[in-house]
Amino acid sequence: MSSSTLRPAGGAPSAGQPEHTARARGRVLPFPITGQEVVLIVVIAVLWVALALTTPAFLTSGSIVPLLVAMAPVALIGVGMTVVIITGGIDVSVAGMVMVCAVVVARAMVESGAPLPVAVLLSVALGGLLGLANGVLIAYGRVHAIIITFGTANLFRFLGLQLFGGTTVDNIPGTLAVFGRGEAGRTLGVPHSFLIMLVVAAAAWYYLRHTPSGRHLYAIGGDADAARLAGVKVQRRVLSAYVLTGLLTGLAACFVIARGTSTLAPNVGAGMELAAIAAVVIGGTSIMGGRGSVLGTVLGALLVQTVTSGVTQLGWRSQLASLFVGILILIAVGADLLRERTRRTA
Amino acid sequence: MSTTVSPPAPAPQSGRPEAPDSRLRQLPALLLRALLTQRIVLLLVLLVAVVATFVTLSQRNYLTAPYDAGYMSAALISAVPLVMLGLAELLVITSGRGGIDLSVGAVVSLTSMVFGFGYGEWGWPLWPSILLAAAFGALCGAVNGFLIAYIGYPALITTLATYYAFSSLAIVVNDQQPISTQPIQEFFSAARSVPLGGGEDPLQVPLGILTFLLPTAVVVWLLLNRSTYGRRLYAIGTNDVAAQWAGIDVRRTRFLAYTAAGLISGLVAVVTVAQFASARPDAGVAGSGMALPAITIAVLGGVAITGGIGRVAGVVLATLLVVWLNAGILLAVPGNAGSQFQLFALGTVLVFAALLNGLTNRRYGRTG
Amino acid sequence: MSESQTSGADGASTPPPADRSERLSVTGVSKRYGAVHAIRNADMTVRAGTVHALVGENGAGKSTLIKILSGAADADTGQITFDGRPVTISGTAGAIALGIATVYQEPQLFPDLTVAENVFTGREITRRGRVDWSAQNARVVELLELIGLPARYATAPVSELSIAEQQQVSIAKALVGNATVLILDEPSAILTDTEIEVLFGVVRRLAASGVAVIYISHRLDELFVIADEVTVMRDGQTLGTWPIGELSVRRVVELMVGGALEDTPPEHRVPDAPPRLVLDGLGCEGEYSDVDVSVRPGEIVTLYGLIGSGAAEIAETVYGMRRATSGRMLLDGRPIAPSSPRAAKRLGIALLPANRKAQGLFSFQSIAFNISAGHLPLLSKFGVWMDRRRERQVARDFIQRLSVRTPHERQPVSAMSGGNAQKVVLARQLVERPPVLVLAEPTQGVDVGAKEEIHRIVRQLADEGTAVLIVTSDLAEAIRVSDRLQVVRAGTTTVEFGPGASQADVLAAAAGALEQEVA
Repeated sequence: MSSSTLRPAGGAPSAGQPEHTARARGRVLPFPITGQEVVLIVVIAVLWVALALTTPAFLTSGSIVPLLVAMAPVALIGVGMTVVIITGGIDVSVAGMVMVCAVVVARAMVESGAPLPVAVLLSVALGGLLGLANGVLIAYGRVHAIIITFGTANLFRFLGLQLFGGTTVDNIPGTLAVFGRGEAGRTLGVPHSFLIMLVVAAAAWYYLRHTPSGRHLYAIGGDADAARLAGVKVQRRVLSAYVLTGLLTGLAACFVIARGTSTLAPNVGAGMELAAIAAVVIGGTSIMGGRGSVLGTVLGALLVQTVTSGVTQLGWRSQLASLFVGILILIAVGADLLRERTRRTA
Repeated sequence: MSTTVSPPAPAPQSGRPEAPDSRLRQLPALLLRALLTQRIVLLLVLLVAVVATFVTLSQRNYLTAPYDAGYMSAALISAVPLVMLGLAELLVITSGRGGIDLSVGAVVSLTSMVFGFGYGEWGWPLWPSILLAAAFGALCGAVNGFLIAYIGYPALITTLATYYAFSSLAIVVNDQQPISTQPIQEFFSAARSVPLGGGEDPLQVPLGILTFLLPTAVVVWLLLNRSTYGRRLYAIGTNDVAAQWAGIDVRRTRFLAYTAAGLISGLVAVVTVAQFASARPDAGVAGSGMALPAITIAVLGGVAITGGIGRVAGVVLATLLVVWLNAGILLAVPGNAGSQFQLFALGTVLVFAALLNGLTNRRYGRTG
Repeated sequence: MSESQTSGADGASTPPPADRSERLSVTGVSKRYGAVHAIRNADMTVRAGTVHALVGENGAGKSTLIKILSGAADADTGQITFDGRPVTISGTAGAIALGIATVYQEPQLFPDLTVAENVFTGREITRRGRVDWSAQNARVVELLELIGLPARYATAPVSELSIAEQQQVSIAKALVGNATVLILDEPSAILTDTEIEVLFGVVRRLAASGVAVIYISHRLDELFVIADEVTVMRDGQTLGTWPIGELSVRRVVELMVGGALEDTPPEHRVPDAPPRLVLDGLGCEGEYSDVDVSVRPGEIVTLYGLIGSGAAEIAETVYGMRRATSGRMLLDGRPIAPSSPRAAKRLGIALLPANRKAQGLFSFQSIAFNISAGHLPLLSKFGVWMDRRRERQVARDFIQRLSVRTPHERQPVSAMSGGNAQKVVLARQLVERPPVLVLAEPTQGVDVGAKEEIHRIVRQLADEGTAVLIVTSDLAEAIRVSDRLQVVRAGTTTVEFGPGASQADVLAAAAGALEQEVA
């Protein structure tokens, strides 16, 4: 007769209650690391050990530093993308944003010799502006995010190509070397771009987990109408998610310039939207919104980059890496589906 | 919304008899409504406006070359893959439940290589090679369809994953090398233009329009508008719970939509090989790839991202609009900048159309 | 309206609260929707610390009154006083600000957030910009104790709770704003009996703490367990308020049904034939058990049951949407076990789904599309190409036969009224002249005229030899159309009535009055 629950749904206070109260005081939120994240950590660890055993060069800084420098911008954009996807949206225009920010900053450095702070501020502000355009259209135009960002992706690419003017930007000075893979880009051997990404991710983690507006993002992704009824400022929060993604993408553009050569080609940023989404999804954030974490995304980006580096380390065709990334995505989402299903039938 | 929640309000104008000219006065409102709710009407109006603008500019010699029938016809070469993949997206987006296919470009790449092997390396005759490409594309689509329809994966993620997998395989399968053997190079003739109609100066039409685009458009149109499958597809896209209660095999119908999208992508691979005179491993994913423009075209053509709404005519008209707009821009803005303005045109039109959709839905309710 | 001061039905178990002053009072409130008077001159007074039941048939005006009190609708006329002061309730936010909280049937919660977060979404306790988890948690633990959930639930994601527990969380959510009036809209409809017991415990505790609870329910037996006072509505009017001690199920039913003409349906002679559809001791674990029903060709049998009685699930089983776990189903004497709607349709069973919008309509498609959607093999050549002429013909036939009001068959159904749309969905079930027709809530949300037409059509189908099984929670309908009527209660078939049963008897049986009261 009684349908599903095996828990004591007791009307009378159960005997164990004081103990529960004590435990509840001890921990006020679910454990900060989800099962999927634990699995990711284990998988990454296993891969690193395996790679270290098979290719002794793997655990040297000559191999690890490029890995971390390569993953930093993807993870950074992924952090913004996580916030957007938690609200139930998506942003496929980030590749175009990277292009616009990168070319503007590169030209500013080449043509007017912009110093480091100006370059970074310019890039971040520009990214924020582009994100604002997305956010306004999505939050107030009430159109599905994927359509709007497909549209703005084209517009951003147009803008970027215009700024490139049909050629590459050459002789970029080393202003941004502090984010690069060279000696200037490291402190105690750890790349700055990676460290900055970690700090940003930690801040985003705190924001999402401990501030009211961060929690509201989850509520919006869970049920936007119910959130509105509960007094959440839905439009403003959604807008802020896209602006945040824009800001982080602007910063990521600086990393992208720094990790490359002194020449910037118009294909800069290509494919980064999909890479960021892949990192988010592998990290366990639900594409339906309402669930996800920044930690998972960082781990997802790290795993993707590990696979990519690993494939080249092993001397395989580098493009084989995307096959593995595709399979990883399917496994990660499949695990999530399976969990959902068992939870529903339990 | 027609709920009248008015108490017996002393509305001053309520008792006034309807003026005889009120119908006439309603005409602008009716036109506006048709423009906003009927995507085909809007696209037609825009298309006429674009063509008229450029023809006028051309006659006044503002353009670098004449914008005439011959030029417009030649421009259609780029419409072939665009319409076909737009139709593929039409099928999967119409199937509902967040339907979308990001992998079409990757399927084009991989199938290009398979076609290249069959026709260029193994010496298969043309028709079996084309069949091979179609079947292989369908197989790729079936992988998507199986995961989405039967396992329950979200379409966006599934096709993102297969995009990675297929594009990787396309590059690895022939060690990053394109296939451009003798038969493949000669296959370029399939992308030539042919004279259409008689007279002294017959219109030169790209052959692909006749051999690939039109047949595909007609078949998809028949499928959607005349076959039982089309009914099932629109039914599951409109309301898949109701479809299940009506006894429709929802999963199979959705599975077939993705399979068909893969099949069309396989045919696009053949077209692409002809255009490049080479089977290239990055045919469908180079640059911004083929999937994003195809989805853009579909949405612009009035395909509702929520499913159940979408017409072949919309996709075709949207493509013509974009292609002829691009062609005009190329003449108006000389040099490299012209091709960039195409992105601008595509993006602007898409955002504009999407905002219009939102407005229309709020104002008139949801319509086809 | 005269009202005697009540002393509470279960005064023995709860100490009478010190203060039973008027908390919320409604006088002369009216509300019209277009030409329809949803409520007229409604009066109701709810006292602090009491459970005030609001009962009435579907359409009697309960939900409109609740909408006005919760701020979801504005009254046209009348006065509302709160704690003795006249107030205007402006919007749901205004109601909440006053201290009037409403818990709707379907919990509006965020499944991936914890219970504590759900309770505080939109009004988080913060300290220096950060959510003060321990303060929130402490408050939620208090609330959980009040509503009888273990304290550890505070940090559990809502998705891990049962439906009943989620509803309790909704109540907690309503209470966190220090509500002094709590409206519970049919809280028991989706709960099992044991879960209802838990709910009652919560309601009693709240009343004891001084909250005024307005309790809406269709299950009249519940009132005698939980309510202190009962307000009865009929045809948009409040008939009065009585202390529960002065009422019986029978009396409430009589008030609800009123002097409405008990229209005796014309006698029908059902041809003597072996039953076409038999449910023999059918059961489905967790939903219903020991269901015995038989329908002969030409006969209309009704399963009458309130929401949550299990009647709807029985219909789903017959149509292959749900597998039975015990008992048998027989069609013309042969056992059947359809595994999908398609299988059921192949056997000749058609079903009109209960939820027209969610399960029936393809909303922005045409009438013809909606009718043919279930019969694509039949209306096509070789099952591949649509036979558009026949499709059109069938659609036009049914538009005429069922008098669907529309200019043509290409009209999208989204633009149609409830009754017309229902006829379209009904037409879909009739295309292949199924020997067995199951109708779930055939006239829900349908205006009176269309209702009569649909009943007439159903009778005609039966006269042509169809075996009709109706599943409904509409009492008047159950009595008017059926040749035999079986009451479904608590997941099983109970009493059976012949034609011309009195509404009061049937309702009393369904609402769970004692057997002797029915007899």
